Amino acid sequence: MSAANLNCHEVRLAIGAEPQSRSGDVTAHLGTCAACSRFRDETLMLDRNLRAALELPLSEFRRPAARPARRYALAASLMFGLLIAGTMWVVLPQPALAGDVVEHALHEPGSWDGSEVVPKAAVAAVLKAAGVEFDSSLPITYAAPCPFHGRRMAHLVVQTANGPLTVMLLPRETVSRRREFTEDGMRGVLLPAGAGAVAVLARTGEVPAPLADEIVSAVRW
Amino acid sequence: MNPRPRGTAAEPAFARLLETFRPDLLRFSLWLSRDRAVAEDVVQETLIRAWKSKNELKDPAAVRPWLLTIARREHARLYERKRLPTVDVESVEALGDPALSSDGDAGLLDLRRAILKLPDEYREPLVLQVLGGFTTAEIGAELGLTQAAVLTRLFRARNRLRGIYGLEPAQESE
Repeated sequence: MSAANLNCHEVRLAIGAEPQSRSGDVTAHLGTCAACSRFRDETLMLDRNLRAALELPLSEFRRPAARPARRYALAASLMFGLLIAGTMWVVLPQPALAGDVVEHALHEPGSWDGSEVVPKAAVAAVLKAAGVEFDSSLPITYAAPCPFHGRRMAHLVVQTANGPLTVMLLPRETVSRRREFTEDGMRGVLLPAGAGAVAVLARTGEVPAPLADEIVSAVRW
Repeated sequence: MNPRPRGTAAEPAFARLLETFRPDLLRFSLWLSRDRAVAEDVVQETLIRAWKSKNELKDPAAVRPWLLTIARREHARLYERKRLPTVDVESVEALGDPALSSDGDAGLLDLRRAILKLPDEYREPLVLQVLGGFTTAEIGAELGLTQAAVLTRLFRARNRLRGIYGLEPAQESE
């Protein structure tokens, strides 16, 4: 028990329910209670693994299920339409890719807000899940292995002199040449990077070209 | 300028958009149902319902939570309609699903099995929060629970999973 307003039980209840939450009372308690700080570190570790565990590898979903799936007559015609649309999406990937990248970033608005550097081991786990190496000195304040186009990509936020940038390391995405884009108020750039592609997004302003090049040069598949 | 009405040239784009969320929906539904065949049914129903209700989507940026909410309701409806039996934890269909171990990470396999064995009342809010990105207030509204009840369930869900890593569970009540 500490001098803060909450006791250890209340703090652990709050952390266990919302590990990412930073209420003032919880933060004040953590500043004076080593045991609860350790509990929080353990819970954050659990949550990183939890997220990775819940994001089941997608390739397995493409195999037929053990039991034949029950089909619905109405679904057949709709799925045919979706299949055609999906084929178009594969044939015309780049405009869709920029939109999908921005769409993904918009679904994780909290990713921009972190200020603490993600531990190296956690970043390494994310990169491993996406099958990529990222040898950059830029501080990483967000790292998640996110589902994207049927694979896992490394979704990072790096801190730069120009503010935070979202970096998405996209395995096996084909980008033929550098392409800048503006979507939903975000400016970004797609770049070819060996066996995949890299997307760099800025919430405000442009992505500086030298910085984007530096990021791409740090990527190894 | 008036927005372009759906139902015309926007339809192929919307169908394409829906299809990009299929993996997310299937994963989400599998964690809820713990049965791949049921999850596939839920996804089919979700896509059909989303297609029919496309005019209800006011904010295109919110399409993912919109679809996940439909999927959760379809899952609940499926159980209600078909009166699917509640299965014993050890005979959960998904425990043998090859997707659980396909990335070769034994630690994640153990954690996935432990998640599947969580009672529905703990697993569902946890999946909604971690995979769905829903806030505790949104989870409460969706599940018909107070926010305090959601917080307790989330805490208990994580508390049960701590054992996977050899960590002592926190005391659940004072």
